[in-house]
Amino acid sequence: MNVKAIKPILFAFTAISLVACGSKTSDKSATETTTPPPTSSETDPNYIDVVTLAGDATALDTNNSGHGFSTPMPNLSDSELDIHLTGDANFETSFTTAPNDAHPELDGLGPVFNNNNCNACHQRDGRPSTIVPTAEQQTVKLANDAGIFLRVSLADGVCEMPSSINDFCQVSGVEGFGDQLFHRGILQAREDWQSHNFGGQADVYLSYDYTEFSYPDGSTVTLKKPIFTIDNAWDSPENFSLSALANEDVRFSARNGMPVFGLGLLEAIEEQDILALEDVDDADNDGISGKANWVFDAVKAQAGDENPVSLGRFGWKASTPSVRQQSLGALRGDMGVTNSLFPEESIANTLMHESYLSRTNYQDTGSDEQGLPEASDEFADTVVFYAETLAVPARRNVADEGVKAGARLFDDLNCTGCHTPRFVTANGAALLLGGVAAPAAVKGQEIWPFTDMLLHDMGEELADNRRDFMATGREWKTRPLWGIGLTKTVNPAAGFLHDGRAATLEEAILWHGGEAEKSKREFTELSSEKRAHLISFLQSL
Amino acid sequence: MKTVLNSITAVILASTLVACGSSSSDDSSDTSTPVTEVTGFSYDATDLIENVTEQVIVDGYEMLNSKAAVLHNATLTLLENKNEAALAAAQQAWKDARVFWEQGESHIFGPVDSLSIDPHLDTWPLNTADLEALLASNTTFSADNVKNFDDGVQGFHTMEFLLFGNGVEDNDKSIDEMTVREMEYLIACAEVFNIHTQSLVDAWVISANADDEPAYKDYLLTPGNDKYSSELGVIEELVNGVIGIVDEVGNGKIAEPFGTSIDTADTSLVESQYSWNSLTDFSNNIVGVQNVFLGTFSDENDSPGLKAFIYAGDAELAAKVETQISAAIAAIDAIAGADDMPFRQAIKDDAGRVRIQTAIDALGELQATLEEEVVPLIKEWNL
Repeated sequence: MNVKAIKPILFAFTAISLVACGSKTSDKSATETTTPPPTSSETDPNYIDVVTLAGDATALDTNNSGHGFSTPMPNLSDSELDIHLTGDANFETSFTTAPNDAHPELDGLGPVFNNNNCNACHQRDGRPSTIVPTAEQQTVKLANDAGIFLRVSLADGVCEMPSSINDFCQVSGVEGFGDQLFHRGILQAREDWQSHNFGGQADVYLSYDYTEFSYPDGSTVTLKKPIFTIDNAWDSPENFSLSALANEDVRFSARNGMPVFGLGLLEAIEEQDILALEDVDDADNDGISGKANWVFDAVKAQAGDENPVSLGRFGWKASTPSVRQQSLGALRGDMGVTNSLFPEESIANTLMHESYLSRTNYQDTGSDEQGLPEASDEFADTVVFYAETLAVPARRNVADEGVKAGARLFDDLNCTGCHTPRFVTANGAALLLGGVAAPAAVKGQEIWPFTDMLLHDMGEELADNRRDFMATGREWKTRPLWGIGLTKTVNPAAGFLHDGRAATLEEAILWHGGEAEKSKREFTELSSEKRAHLISFLQSL
Repeated sequence: MKTVLNSITAVILASTLVACGSSSSDDSSDTSTPVTEVTGFSYDATDLIENVTEQVIVDGYEMLNSKAAVLHNATLTLLENKNEAALAAAQQAWKDARVFWEQGESHIFGPVDSLSIDPHLDTWPLNTADLEALLASNTTFSADNVKNFDDGVQGFHTMEFLLFGNGVEDNDKSIDEMTVREMEYLIACAEVFNIHTQSLVDAWVISANADDEPAYKDYLLTPGNDKYSSELGVIEELVNGVIGIVDEVGNGKIAEPFGTSIDTADTSLVESQYSWNSLTDFSNNIVGVQNVFLGTFSDENDSPGLKAFIYAGDAELAAKVETQISAAIAAIDAIAGADDMPFRQAIKDDAGRVRIQTAIDALGELQATLEEEVVPLIKEWNL
């Protein structure tokens, strides 16, 4: 028997039996009967009939609506669910400027930041709205409705493997700015705040270059590529060319918010299962490599590990190893709220921070009289747990023949060369997520994330030319595709890819290049009907 | 209950044969195609979706938008006249706009979220440090400027603070207590507020965003697009939307300030505490649920809402939900008691706390019915 056919059949029985053996039974009064639809062929890819993409951690009641990313894993215990729900409320909590006498638990925003709560960049736990200038605007300033920001650093060659000798391959920050550009601030963050209310390190403007892509069959698609413009930098408000940001060796890269469901499952994938997919030198000569990003692990470093390096799993370039580091790094960076893992303000030890502190009587230093950070451990831990335990929405329209045809094309075009369909998560008491014992809900689950968790060269059009640990300026981590079909249901204005440039899944495919060039080209050579089938498969995920 | 062919149910029951059966692998009968019974109910949701979309959601946003324009005008009049009558009119205009916003919280999806209009209009608590610094600064209050302010210093609650004062001792700020600078800030906030409510209406009825997309309502009215693949998605959106606000009112807006005892009750957590409008807010939230349930702003018509859908699957359940919605609204309205006690006082009052607990219980019962009976019913629907 072809191996591909075994897994879905076994899967269907085990996953569905939980329902079938439970209290829900058929209505005895029903009289009509039918037969099941024909099963898929043995040569079909193993994911073709899969509905529950994350085993017991799949959301089954909200997978057709905009609530599909916001459901707790149904296999959480009651006490875990309580923690998750507390984290849910905290995820939407907006921080405020210190001091806040009525709500001291909410103060600590900034002084510079990109957004004031988690949800603002992960709207309804999904992707943020892509900001597009109106017809009257040429460009639009990133402000309180943008879920995107710029990373910055200096060009400094490649880094082969993190170690204490090379500062663990961490990027070289820009003098006075660091490695992330905070385009917003609290009211008095800047010295010139009276004329520049709520200004951050610099103003960032967004516009687009529009081009037309033509398929071999003559049909066309308009593509847009973002152009970011920076002005009014804090270190040289009047003349940007004198700012440290204007130096030739400064590299910029956009970072759009991404979905936050299913993350605990991705962290629970066995490291060896990911590394088994590596093919750095393309030994199998299929044009696809796959490279792990080994990165600095802040949790290990805090625990005193002499070599705090782990496999990168999260972020657009797999530059963080855990949901904990990703989330708490965002809390301190994107929001400017210090926490136990990152206790210093994002702009600590810069002249901008010194100026801010001296002008505001050192009342917002990032820690209180007892030395405690701005976010309590309870706040931080519950937010992390929340992001670890959001369920993955079940698939839809699986039996549709067009969807099935698309599933076959996805395999035929070797999209699975990077978008690895299936893993089984680790099990056992020793499993840790971010240094903390993993909840049982994420253990031992058969999952279908459609990512190999590795880096791939995605070509010149997507290149940011900015290194991130071992990732080069052309490499990006394969995005998980589970749930991707609900993206626009969750947020109708969401965009795909690292800078939100693709308004549709079709556009996202057309931006693929580099190692994905061959698959992309073969997609463009399909008939319009077959292209629609492939899209309908992605929409079913 | 009607019975219709249902392939999903069939697959589940077919799988049961293996998953739950005893050792029957040698039984040749298992190799035959299983024949299964099918359950479920039928309902054509087209009219329901149209009614809720047009008569509840869009009409509600248009009412909000018109009330926002009235509020903006009232703030202009306030600066011009600077008298008690103008202040009272502006305060009432704020409350009138609040009605339609709170009712609309029963369907927080689509442009209200994607355009960040919810946080722009209704961020709470306020960023009080920056708000006070702004009033003390030389900042010019214009719509262009305020639009890019932090969400914690614009929207409903900033305007509420400026119009009603801090709400600690009373909610009847006098004109003598209001500075010209507060009035200017208020005007700019009201103008930006109205810009956002207009954007919200436009997104629903003209184009969902700047990328020349269709009106957002079209995605609901004609499912089969990349937002809603079928009517099932729309129904699921509506049901989970009302669950969300029932949960938020019962377990958040009321329960959090209420605390576990009179000693742990926290007035700082009370939303709309400056205007003492909290109970009206809560009540309107559940009236919003009732609107979606009935399909219109009134029960005196035959336009279908979620009630009709539930009725098609389980008539008794539809009646139960209707009764529980009415009971929850009545219980919230009863919190004020005979002496019309505001919520921020009621959480610190023994008799008030008894009435609040009654409301929390009523909301809990409604939420349980929606989650445990209505959500499963959706799975029985044969599209």
